[in-house]
Amino acid sequence: MSFFRNRYQRKTLRNASSEEIPSKTLRAHDQERISASLDETVHFMKEILGDNDDFASKHFRIFGRFRAVMFYFTNLTNQDILNNDILKPLMYVPLHLSEKEILLAELKDVITNETLYHSQVKIDDCLDQLIDFILRGETVIVIDGIAEAFHIGTRTVEKRAIEQPETEQAILGPREGFIENIATNISLLRYRLPTADLRVKTMTIGRITKSTVAVCYIKGIANNGVVSEVEKRLSEIDIDAIMDAGYLEQFIEDNPYSPFPQVQSTERPDKTVANILEGRVAILVDGSPFALVVPVVFNQFYQTVEDYSSRFLIGSFVRIARMLALVFSLIIPSLYVSFISFNPELLPTEFAVAVAGGRAGVPYPAVIEVLLIEVSMEVLREATVRLPKQVGGALSIVGVLVIGEAAVNAGLASPITIVVIALTTIGSFATPAYTAAFALRMLRFPIIILAGVFGLYGVVIGVIFIFNHMLSLKSFGVPYMSPVSPGNYQGWKDVVFRSPLWLMPKRPAFLQSANDKRIGGKRNKTMAENKFGNDQQEGDTSGGFERNNNPSSSDNLN
Amino acid sequence: MEDSREITTLQAATILISTIIGVGILPLPLFAVRAGDTGAPLVTLLGIGIAAIGLFIITKLGMRHPQKTIIAYSEEILGKWWGKICSLIVIIFFAFLTGFASREFGAVVITAILGETPLEIVVIVMLLLAAVSVRNNINTFAYIHNFYVPIILAPALIIVVFSLQNGNMIYLQPLTGNNFNEMFSGTLMIASLFQGSFIMTLIIPAMKHPKKAMKASMWAILISGGLYLLIVVATVSVFGTEEIKQLFWPTLELARTTFLPGNILQRLDVVFLSVWVTAVFTTLFSSYYFTAFSIKQFFQLQDHKMLAYFILPFVFILAMLPLNIFQLYQFIENVGKVGLTITILYPLLLLIIDFMKGKRRRGKSGYKQP
Repeated sequence: MSFFRNRYQRKTLRNASSEEIPSKTLRAHDQERISASLDETVHFMKEILGDNDDFASKHFRIFGRFRAVMFYFTNLTNQDILNNDILKPLMYVPLHLSEKEILLAELKDVITNETLYHSQVKIDDCLDQLIDFILRGETVIVIDGIAEAFHIGTRTVEKRAIEQPETEQAILGPREGFIENIATNISLLRYRLPTADLRVKTMTIGRITKSTVAVCYIKGIANNGVVSEVEKRLSEIDIDAIMDAGYLEQFIEDNPYSPFPQVQSTERPDKTVANILEGRVAILVDGSPFALVVPVVFNQFYQTVEDYSSRFLIGSFVRIARMLALVFSLIIPSLYVSFISFNPELLPTEFAVAVAGGRAGVPYPAVIEVLLIEVSMEVLREATVRLPKQVGGALSIVGVLVIGEAAVNAGLASPITIVVIALTTIGSFATPAYTAAFALRMLRFPIIILAGVFGLYGVVIGVIFIFNHMLSLKSFGVPYMSPVSPGNYQGWKDVVFRSPLWLMPKRPAFLQSANDKRIGGKRNKTMAENKFGNDQQEGDTSGGFERNNNPSSSDNLN
Repeated sequence: MEDSREITTLQAATILISTIIGVGILPLPLFAVRAGDTGAPLVTLLGIGIAAIGLFIITKLGMRHPQKTIIAYSEEILGKWWGKICSLIVIIFFAFLTGFASREFGAVVITAILGETPLEIVVIVMLLLAAVSVRNNINTFAYIHNFYVPIILAPALIIVVFSLQNGNMIYLQPLTGNNFNEMFSGTLMIASLFQGSFIMTLIIPAMKHPKKAMKASMWAILISGGLYLLIVVATVSVFGTEEIKQLFWPTLELARTTFLPGNILQRLDVVFLSVWVTAVFTTLFSSYYFTAFSIKQFFQLQDHKMLAYFILPFVFILAMLPLNIFQLYQFIENVGKVGLTITILYPLLLLIIDFMKGKRRRGKSGYKQP
């Protein structure tokens, strides 16, 4: 019996401790109301926040008559606004009210409606809420005799300027990237999507950080099931702090044990908007310059915004190059290992001889050699990321020289190994999504080992294993490998090739959008109406542009 | 717990294609030539015909019971106990099929690419790969097959196309063979290579439109049969019948004689074999999945995930039963013939009984459907 009780007690204890992870101080005053007595409120505030030296409580008299106190954090609020837009109008009796006698009862309305020069004035009476507002940079004004308090949005937090995104560079396309401030980020989305259908729903996650999380989607385009699933998963998160979008990602992804990213994070507002327009849901977090986009499919990770903003031939060509790079980064080293150690007869004879010559002085089997160089390459790469920019360049040159030249001279590796590793490394840099590139980078190692044990058979087994895993993944109910498998004809137009925009009139089918039409009416009017080649001059009667251009071209002929 | 019905007609067809094309593709020309000499293509064609009839029966049966797999409706048709016994035989047969496919695969791999690796390791790695993948649900099963079909079809077609330039049409004449008795048993042998199509009984209950199942079946048999026929024609026309009888895996030899223009790779056979691993995988995957899934239904369990690992040792033991490669092919031949009874005659029996029952039922209830 006592044993059971003990267990029971321990259980309740643990429950209690898990309940009090966060802001303990405030929880004690849950649901408490503000009192009409000013001194009591001041005492309460000082008790809770008074230990902080940047906490200010300023006594003053409203219109020279009513005693009031203003609470704020000096570092979080804009002093100019405080002085000019709040204190000044409150202390002077406004001109139009100077004749009138203001009673305590109507003071509240007078202040909100006729006095304060500020749009974000609200009234609240919950003490814990008020403290929360102060902590978030608002200014709270309490008046003696009124059992309610004003809180005014005066927060200013320094933010950096909008810059070009670091992780996703584009040659063609907008240069803006998200910043840490969520308000700015939402404004970047809103200005690209001036539609009443854009929905931005916010919630707070994180017991201590209370980070604002915004879920953005277009109603009528995004699938309702996906939207509610996103909201459900987000609302179930219970953690003390959300420092970055990556925290959320780890809580909402479908298969946390998979090496593949099942949520796309992007720094680019234009990419986010494009995704929202395809019917996806974007999640923004205050304090993170990354937006999360769900649901995702694998082919998104090798697509870039540039594919769409450049002409379709260029886009397709670049995309194919990128896919090749992806394949390189995954299997080239293991193919090399299996060719060298198991099936040298596959190589053309001259090349096989050259390879054998290069490997003459190398003491290790090909697997060890490749693993050795791969590992040092990983170390080098990590070092270059951490190093300050000024040193980074120098280090990479030294590193490459050391690994490239010296390793070969020292007999640690054969020159062809170096070529193979270089191809792999460069290949993994060409993948636009850092997370996806990372997954393949990681998976390269088991495949190399398999290749060392089973040769080509091992490589094929490894690749089948990876593909099977990818085929079994789902992101918010969408199969990860769609539209390849399960196949969809419309979707295939945008997998290997990037078909012309006017040939892709529908939104991706796998997102099950309620409104799947992108292009209305005739697909490409310009092409249908224009006549090509020699007919152009004859058929055109109203073409002012054409007229202007023609003489100059004939001038050139002369 | 039922999965949602999501498999499309195309996916059903691709499942069938990739299930049918498997280990059998390597010794196929040998079987055909042994039975019919120069009549090998004809034998193949007849075999495909029999397989098509079998698949037709299975599909028809499945379409009459679009909610259930064969394990469930056999009990309905034959009565509980007879149904259970027959289902047990089907399950054991598929376990055998899985085992022998993996064994045959292992034999090819250790002969052709990995000379020094123990057979057991190769077989168990393959079975493990299948077992891990079997843990997915039936929709993922469909995605996986759907994904690999082009990878399976493309290299076989490439090799056929490139080798046909060395072909000699004289080798293919006369078109009819000499010995009709032999030809008949060869036809059965070829038909038994299509046994994987029995998986259709499992797919129909998961199809979005079970009415279109017949279309999927016929397309599948057309494509996989067409490929088999092409391979037989190409092999016979390149090597001639007498040469083929000396070879264990004529298709592999065909790949050896093929060169890519530009001499990118010295030899193609190893590449062909590696891709063929995929084909074997999909076949194994199907029969393994069928075994696990049917056991789940047989015992009315919640899901088949645990079963995937549980039946692994049994399948492995079955795979290790034949002592050597000659015995293996004897086993395969015998099991194949038994298999024809199970995959064609048994469904035919079910169909007939079901048909008669249906008629009686309709007669009783007093109206006739047009």
